[in-house]
Amino acid sequence: MKRFLKLSSLLIVIFSSCVSPYKNLQPVAHTEIAQQLKPPVFNKALYRSVVDGGYLFKKFHLSGLLLFKTFENGTIRAVFQNEMGYTFFDFEWDKGNFKVNQIIPQLDKSAVVKTLRKDFELLLRIGIKEGKDRLYKKKDETYHRFTLEKGYVYYIFKNNELERIENAGQKNKVITINVSNTVDDALPQTIRYIHHKANFTIELNKIDADANE
Amino acid sequence: MLMRHSVFTLLFVISCFACFAQPKGYSAAKNVESFKTALAQSNAAVQTISSDFLQTKNLSLLAEKIKSKGKFFFKKDNKVRIEYTSPFSYLLVMNNGQMMVKDEQKCSKINTRNSKMMQSVNRIIIDCMRGSVFQNPDFRVTVYENAQHYLLSLVPAADAMKKMFSQIDVYMNRKGFDVDRLTMTEQGGDFTNMEFTNTHHNAPLDEALFKIK
Repeated sequence: MKRFLKLSSLLIVIFSSCVSPYKNLQPVAHTEIAQQLKPPVFNKALYRSVVDGGYLFKKFHLSGLLLFKTFENGTIRAVFQNEMGYTFFDFEWDKGNFKVNQIIPQLDKSAVVKTLRKDFELLLRIGIKEGKDRLYKKKDETYHRFTLEKGYVYYIFKNNELERIENAGQKNKVITINVSNTVDDALPQTIRYIHHKANFTIELNKIDADANE
Repeated sequence: MLMRHSVFTLLFVISCFACFAQPKGYSAAKNVESFKTALAQSNAAVQTISSDFLQTKNLSLLAEKIKSKGKFFFKKDNKVRIEYTSPFSYLLVMNNGQMMVKDEQKCSKINTRNSKMMQSVNRIIIDCMRGSVFQNPDFRVTVYENAQHYLLSLVPAADAMKKMFSQIDVYMNRKGFDVDRLTMTEQGGDFTNMEFTNTHHNAPLDEALFKIK
């Protein structure tokens, strides 16, 4: 009997992990939702950044500063540097076209660039095309879903405020981006990326001002 | 063939200019040997250095600056503490081949003896403060001067350093050979200035400042 209970509870765990977290979403019409999904508006945003993760038995920890800047012509740049000022990467989006301006050899791997690019594009809402978007409700949360080249991105709102962003395949979540203290259309004060498959996190905390002279 | 020849000629001309270009407001030091002797004598008398610093990262293409500040401590022969206090907290301690970095979340120890790159970084910081840079095989050093300063222009000779920096400039005041400014220029053109103020020599510094825990 005990063995049966153990086996059945194991099966329940396995089964429940296979169920899509988006299964019970209720479709709603666009007209029922007040908020519109607009890209964040910012001139410059500087974040204290910490990356933590593990690969096989190795753990890694990396910290630095991440700067987002929008130019007058709409070009967006994301530059990451360590505390001592050394630039690790410099990415650019010009009218949505992505370009790597600079990257250190240790990070210059297509998988790394692809992952970071996707992380920033989800947050900055670059290349997120409307038209095929859908709206859903689940309890007191609104899910605004957009179709990506692979899978979906859900912008999840509670009380008209962005709570988190989720990137998912057909069934499983790939990335969760928890955000907090978003004032109007600005970038959030804190951002936490959780990469469920790749097993690493990125924490960003907005720095309001540089050191005063 | 002609095209390739022209490119090589152009590169040669550019490299000649790069080798002999004098920094604005400076001329080549008239007597490098006497400068070396005076520097060695001055440094022999210095057991500790403590100072404040203001770090400014200049992102060339973004016309943007990122500022931070903190405290710097050096104790003979090879103990360094760089403590960022604003707008973030970050600590770097080097002591006899060991390095410790501590951010808001984690403290990590690194044995620099295991990494040629870390050894180079360790050594250049100590060399700049101790004035022992002429003995460093990783750089070609050219000395310039004006009425107020000596400028030691360091061009990386070792591959590991070449990948990181195109040049490091050390500005020493003529009075006491204190390092007033350190400018690290990256291959991409971005550069970081560290300006040292409130410098004190031979003030007693507690060993605990350099403890690697």
